Amino acid sequence: METLEIIRKAIIEGQAKEVEQHVQAALDSGMKATTILYDGLIPAMAEVGRLYEEGEYFVPEMLIAARAMKTGLGLLKPFLVEGNVQPLGKVAIATVQGDLHDIGKNLVSLMLEGAGFEIVDLGVNAEPQKFVDAVQQQQVNVVAMSALLTTTMTRMKDTITALDAAGVRGKVKVIIGGAPITQAYADEIGADGYAPDASQAVNLTKRLLAAS
Amino acid sequence: MNERERFHATMHYLPRDRSPIYDFNFWDETIVVWYDQGLPRQVDRDNSDDFLGMDSFHHTGVSVDLIPRFDEIILEDRGEFEIKQQDDGVRVLRKKFMGSIPQHVGHLLVDRESWRTHYKPRLDPDSPERYPEDWDTRVRDWTDPNRETVMVLPGGSLYGRLRDWMGLENISLVLYDDPAWFEEMVETLADCIVGTLTRLLETGAKFEACGMWEDMAYNAGPLMSVRHFKQFLVPHYRRITDLLHRYGVDVVWVDCDGNIEKLVPLWLDAGVNCMFPLEIGTWGADPVAYRQQYGQDLLIMGGFDKHILARSKDEIAREIERLTPLVEEGGYIGFCDHRVPPDVPLDNYLFYLETVRKAWGKNLNLKPMHPLEHKIS
Repeated sequence: METLEIIRKAIIEGQAKEVEQHVQAALDSGMKATTILYDGLIPAMAEVGRLYEEGEYFVPEMLIAARAMKTGLGLLKPFLVEGNVQPLGKVAIATVQGDLHDIGKNLVSLMLEGAGFEIVDLGVNAEPQKFVDAVQQQQVNVVAMSALLTTTMTRMKDTITALDAAGVRGKVKVIIGGAPITQAYADEIGADGYAPDASQAVNLTKRLLAAS
Repeated sequence: MNERERFHATMHYLPRDRSPIYDFNFWDETIVVWYDQGLPRQVDRDNSDDFLGMDSFHHTGVSVDLIPRFDEIILEDRGEFEIKQQDDGVRVLRKKFMGSIPQHVGHLLVDRESWRTHYKPRLDPDSPERYPEDWDTRVRDWTDPNRETVMVLPGGSLYGRLRDWMGLENISLVLYDDPAWFEEMVETLADCIVGTLTRLLETGAKFEACGMWEDMAYNAGPLMSVRHFKQFLVPHYRRITDLLHRYGVDVVWVDCDGNIEKLVPLWLDAGVNCMFPLEIGTWGADPVAYRQQYGQDLLIMGGFDKHILARSKDEIAREIERLTPLVEEGGYIGFCDHRVPPDVPLDNYLFYLETVRKAWGKNLNLKPMHPLEHKIS
């Protein structure tokens, strides 16, 4: 089995130590970090997303795969920085104001990172201005909002309004998700998209950025 | 017909005068919002059932949870928020006045050592503190052949508590990093539940139901795989339900929010036969569809979409009408699919209540509602 295939398989199976061992071996053999990233780590996480969407993988399988991927990514990072390799996009993500639930947000972050995006984690209970600041100061091109409750989901609209008022709405794609959220709600508040789970959030983000 | 007879008849598809009228209570915030809409200020979550004329469940006062509890400690005051160590040992960032599920910021249960030191000793079924001091009086009440109340046994949790104590990410990793330890923790929880239930059941009392709690699903489905559920949980659910069945308790509900579609057949197979509160959610669960799929083997409580309660009276009336055949068939007790949230106007809720008391309660032998100044518009 070729090295990249071994790495992909190890990530899909959540074998962090194997990933570490084979990524290091690949680097030692002279393989480019970008090759390992784009042909090893990212396709592996895409496969994890597919397995999750098809109901073969659940949260634990996604988490161990993401952990394995991060182990490999940690080894690649110095080379990626040195080579000035740019991420696919930069995503500011948070649970909206009034809401402290962070499980969904963390899963989406993991999967986006695994797909090659840079994450700016704004945490929980994030007021609209926090998103505006991230767009203005950190040049993010995607804003991702999560809410667990019907009483807090309205803050998503407040955030979009704040992005509008600050004149930065046109600079970013806004995606939303969480237990009470639907596509209809995304349409109603003027978000660019809704994803029902972490894997589909990755597909949605890629699609929106490709179209922009 | 008294409440006990009515509940039994409902859950066994037998003739009865009317359906029980329950609800899953309200958020703290709902009550506060409703004060401004005309709810008398003496009503709170503890007395709302009585005030609104609900039937009720009674619990034994026996715990299958951690005994003794950890000390509750406020670790940091952040104005509207605080960091607190809860009585289950979990450190959370929470709103002082409820309104969101708190964020876990630290756990005492992190490894085998902390399990052995802090948690396992608190799951001893023989701890005297697990049983109320007035045990003898309670047993007399439970075993009274003329008892009219619905007594529910504590069924505990095999996964939900572990998720609470460790956090979702940590407990998920344990499944792969140390499956033997995961199994030991589940077995310990089950031992505690079985030991405690045995003592309760050996009193000779005839209990009407046993209530478990898991909360192990979210909008996309279960938080663990079907394979893991079958491997780790089903054998221990069976230990619990086999015991209950031997003592004639054949209504075993599990309280689980989220999309439980994949879990229902597994629970049924493990002897857990009643789903509560059957959250409708964006995934569109439907008690009518569940009955069509599983027949009368599946009992359901809840399943009335909270979002409908927040909309119009016409929609509320239509949903009540849609669910009425299921209520009349039995094996189903309809009420809100979670705690009633604050975006439900009191006016809508009272309309809902008045309508179900008539449609499902037949206006027969109902507990009286306290008079309200608020008149339904």
